[in-house]
Amino acid sequence: MLKKLYATFCSLNLGLWLMTGVMVTLALGSFSSASSEQGGLNDMPLLFWLQRAPLGYSWWLWLCVACIAVLFVNALICSIDALRRKGRSVAPHLMHAGFLLIVLAHLLSAYGGFKQQMQLPQGDSFGFPDGERVVVERISGQIGPMGMMSTYRADLRLSDGLHAVQPNQPLFHKGYGIYVKDVELSPVPVALFEVHKEPGALTAFIGALIFTVGNLMLLAQRKGR
Amino acid sequence: MKWLLITSALLFVASIRRPIFVVALGCSLAYLASRGMGLGRLPLIGPQDTLAFFSGSLGLMALPFIYSRQTAGIRWFCWGCGALAGLFAALALPFPTINMPLPPILDTYWFELHVALAFFAYGLFGIAALLGIAFLQGGGKPALDLQYRAALVGYSFFSLSMVSGGIWGYYAWGTYWLWTAKELWTSILWIFYSLYLHLRLKGQSWERGFAWLGIVGFLVTLFTYLGVSMLMRSSHSF
Repeated sequence: MLKKLYATFCSLNLGLWLMTGVMVTLALGSFSSASSEQGGLNDMPLLFWLQRAPLGYSWWLWLCVACIAVLFVNALICSIDALRRKGRSVAPHLMHAGFLLIVLAHLLSAYGGFKQQMQLPQGDSFGFPDGERVVVERISGQIGPMGMMSTYRADLRLSDGLHAVQPNQPLFHKGYGIYVKDVELSPVPVALFEVHKEPGALTAFIGALIFTVGNLMLLAQRKGR
Repeated sequence: MKWLLITSALLFVASIRRPIFVVALGCSLAYLASRGMGLGRLPLIGPQDTLAFFSGSLGLMALPFIYSRQTAGIRWFCWGCGALAGLFAALALPFPTINMPLPPILDTYWFELHVALAFFAYGLFGIAALLGIAFLQGGGKPALDLQYRAALVGYSFFSLSMVSGGIWGYYAWGTYWLWTAKELWTSILWIFYSLYLHLRLKGQSWERGFAWLGIVGFLVTLFTYLGVSMLMRSSHSF
């Protein structure tokens, strides 16, 4: 019984069917209003959204998550099985390990992620969950030749001093990232802030690095073959 | 400088010989360089610039393949790569150029790396599709081996593009992943080529299927790049 189960999960065919399943569910989901910008899927961590969204709206994502979960086990067992045999290249298994870490990272973010958006004028403040206040000391920006903001920033005061937040340069503080998304200078300077927590970010980055190393090894091995 | 783009499109389509292809590629790269110098950044915004960049990427990525000994017997291969690159250069022509500076959120090397790598990958997936056609027309095993190599290198570029996109997203948007149509189709394309590379393990009996998948992969690529932008609303639309 266990041997049969092991052989099933070790099967290449299972992996191919699961990949097909993930592709089909994602393709169907891409036409769903859930995946649109207003679908609400990006407003909260995935697991919270899945618990709240009606099944008629989220069924494709449930199926996709189920396929990925079995694919996770399939990739893990395939790699363990191949590593037990001598003389095999380690490159594909590094790529599998990277993939597994990236799936784990998504799970971490899907469970423990946090996102909050707020529009604040200069001089206002917001609080962290631990009670620390962040004061919006100054909001500034420059209008470009086409009438759009070419640069903008917000200076935030925390207990450890003043910090600038700009597009692509968020402020990381106690595991949270503070992002400035938009700025309006008149009638009074106002900025749109987002506070994010992505507990899976580091794991995803490590997974991506391991995947890349495996990928480069594979390319080197396949050179000229 | 639009005449350079027009010249590259015409020469690519006429590239029945390799030197013509090289001149066409030179014109394409000169056009992209002139746009880049004028803008002070890589030309990657708007349909004209992205289609021209795609055409140039396809030509650049095709270069080692058209000079490969394995494609010497495929008489139409150089022209096929040229026709594909010429098609996208011609498609770029009707669109106006967007000459604005990068919006602050896009003004980072991670964005430029993300998009450029994706186009290199798309180009290689196009070449893999042509090699799949060559195999199905009797091009033999070398055509299929080259198809695998083109797709593997394309997959590597595409994976790196996803990694750089994730890093950019984390710094720009606060998350390395968003549930939008473009991200979903990007994942579909990545999984499709993951499946393609795994299918090689099935052995000789799957050779024709393997070649066909290389062709279908390019259709998925085109939908991911053009179809999603035209048919679906997404923050990634050009």
